[in-house]
Amino acid sequence: MATKTTSAPGYLESFSPRQQRRMAERKAMPGLTPPGYWHLAWHSRGNPRSVLVERRAVAVNAALALAIAVVGVLYLSLGSVPVSPGEVIAALTGRGDMMTTFMVQELRLPRLAAACFTGAAFALAGVLMQTLARNRLATPGIIGIDNGATAFAVASILGMGFSIAPPAMALAGATTAAAITFGLSAGSGTQGYRFIVAGIGVGAVFGALTQFILARVPIDTANAAYPWTVGTLNARSGSAVWLLGMGLAVGLVLALVLARSLSLLRFKDAVACGLGVKVRACRLQVLALSVVLTGLAVAVAGPVGMVALIGPEIARSLSSARHVPVLAATLAGALVMLLADLAGRTLLAPIEIPVGIVTAVVGGPWLLWILMRPQRSRP
Amino acid sequence: MTDTTAAPTLSTRTLAMSYGPRRVIDALDLDLPQGQVTAIVGPNGCGKSTLLSGLARLHKPDSGAVLLDGADVQGLPAKELARQLALLPQEATAPEGLTVTELIRFGRQPHQGWLRQWSAEDQAVVQYALEAAGLEELAERPLDALSGGQRQRAWIAMTIAQQTPLLLLDEPTSALDLGHQIEVFELVRKLAAEGRTVVMVLHDLASACRYADHLIAMNGGRIVAEGKPATVVTPALVKTLYQVECTLLTDPATGSPLIANVRRAATA
Repeated sequence: MATKTTSAPGYLESFSPRQQRRMAERKAMPGLTPPGYWHLAWHSRGNPRSVLVERRAVAVNAALALAIAVVGVLYLSLGSVPVSPGEVIAALTGRGDMMTTFMVQELRLPRLAAACFTGAAFALAGVLMQTLARNRLATPGIIGIDNGATAFAVASILGMGFSIAPPAMALAGATTAAAITFGLSAGSGTQGYRFIVAGIGVGAVFGALTQFILARVPIDTANAAYPWTVGTLNARSGSAVWLLGMGLAVGLVLALVLARSLSLLRFKDAVACGLGVKVRACRLQVLALSVVLTGLAVAVAGPVGMVALIGPEIARSLSSARHVPVLAATLAGALVMLLADLAGRTLLAPIEIPVGIVTAVVGGPWLLWILMRPQRSRP
Repeated sequence: MTDTTAAPTLSTRTLAMSYGPRRVIDALDLDLPQGQVTAIVGPNGCGKSTLLSGLARLHKPDSGAVLLDGADVQGLPAKELARQLALLPQEATAPEGLTVTELIRFGRQPHQGWLRQWSAEDQAVVQYALEAAGLEELAERPLDALSGGQRQRAWIAMTIAQQTPLLLLDEPTSALDLGHQIEVFELVRKLAAEGRTVVMVLHDLASACRYADHLIAMNGGRIVAEGKPATVVTPALVKTLYQVECTLLTDPATGSPLIANVRRAATA
């Protein structure tokens, strides 16, 4: 076997210190764990069991969780009536005075939960769809699913002859938009630009439909629905948040179960198939999960689709390329949503900027940067 | 690392397959010789890649069957098949930033599960695959930073880590220069010497003559010739396949046929 590069002088020096350390680790303990991992092994009913935990993933997820906790306390303390972080913690643990406790627990905490849940759900749906389409632009928002969900939910809120709850309508809208997009790109599959272009078209149609519905109702009713169409946490209903929370919990578990196959879905179908992934079934599960999560999140906050782009992007930049960072993307989404809503609530107080506008202001340039930055190899 | 005594047989019976709406293979019967390198050659569109995708169960046959040890592969669980048969498709691409070892570790996935994520055997096989493909020094390099030949060896190493007795390669050298082609072919020979059955689809008849034990020449979805390259390859066969005239010589070093003086056949 030709190993011409290996004999060149200064070859070892061309590696980073981390790479050199890993190579030394590998030489020192063959037959053990891949470098950079914790290996947990045990026996259960006579069967050897083992789990690999990537150290970097643990560090990234812990850091994101910590950031959510810190920003969360800040989120609860800032507002029309400022409360000190110490008082917030006292109120959360039931040691604060009644007024503060009421404000923190009854007024601000539900909104915090809504922000975390929607951000997490959008970002999880985003990373799933991006993996499915093998394109980091292919988030549910960009391929029209957000707009489909919004159009249906707005129709139900404004009482266009329907009396179904917004979450159910949003789910129906998300499913309809996804079905149309997939129908239009049939034959070329979920990869390639045809899928994204079809999705953009479907999104535009549903966006116009929402505007059309709003134009047909009395101006006061339309005004009431308007903030909701740009994406805000003001219009949330308690039951929709609960439903989203449960959906997110189940969805996250399912996504983590699918994670091993997801890593392989990033390759060509033939590679994934050759490694024993049931590609068709797996894609369908990933798609369904992404659509349901998006629908549930839109029912709470409207189309804040940019989070689905930003969250996974942050997660990927922090994580190793070995896995699809399912958990990190979810946490990053929650963090982005919290920060965006915090900014929206406080920057121009007492005027509140809808969170959808904040994420669009930040996400637009972000999207441009992704498109225009120096080209690296394909995602 | 491969148990040669239990090497399964791969064959097809009256296999018919389509590519899109077009029927490209009809009633194909084939038995692949165990423990040898088989090259499938033929002109563009002759159905060789479609046949390979059928053998790997990427596409469902219209009729007939691909048999693994006599059993229809359509009935096998996906993971079970992936423990018997590894596939390297054309122009495989990897996610940005993935390192050589990380790629090779994916080859262990058919042997793993949620509560069986890593064993001493996994580690040993990955290490073996790195060594077999001559990639120890490049183990922690990202794939994007490798040369074409090194990258292709890394992909083959991933299929080695799959520890399958059967290995299917679709045009493994199509985008490589001569030196890198030889790297890959020598690795393929080494894998066959360890007892694996290797099947490659090749564009290049000359490489097929040089590196294959068994040659399958296809044209129009049918097998037109099959056997040892030295006995099968004739000027007439080359003309049938590619519409070119040529002179055949014998490589004094290896005894395999050499194709020389290739020119376009006079149109009849």
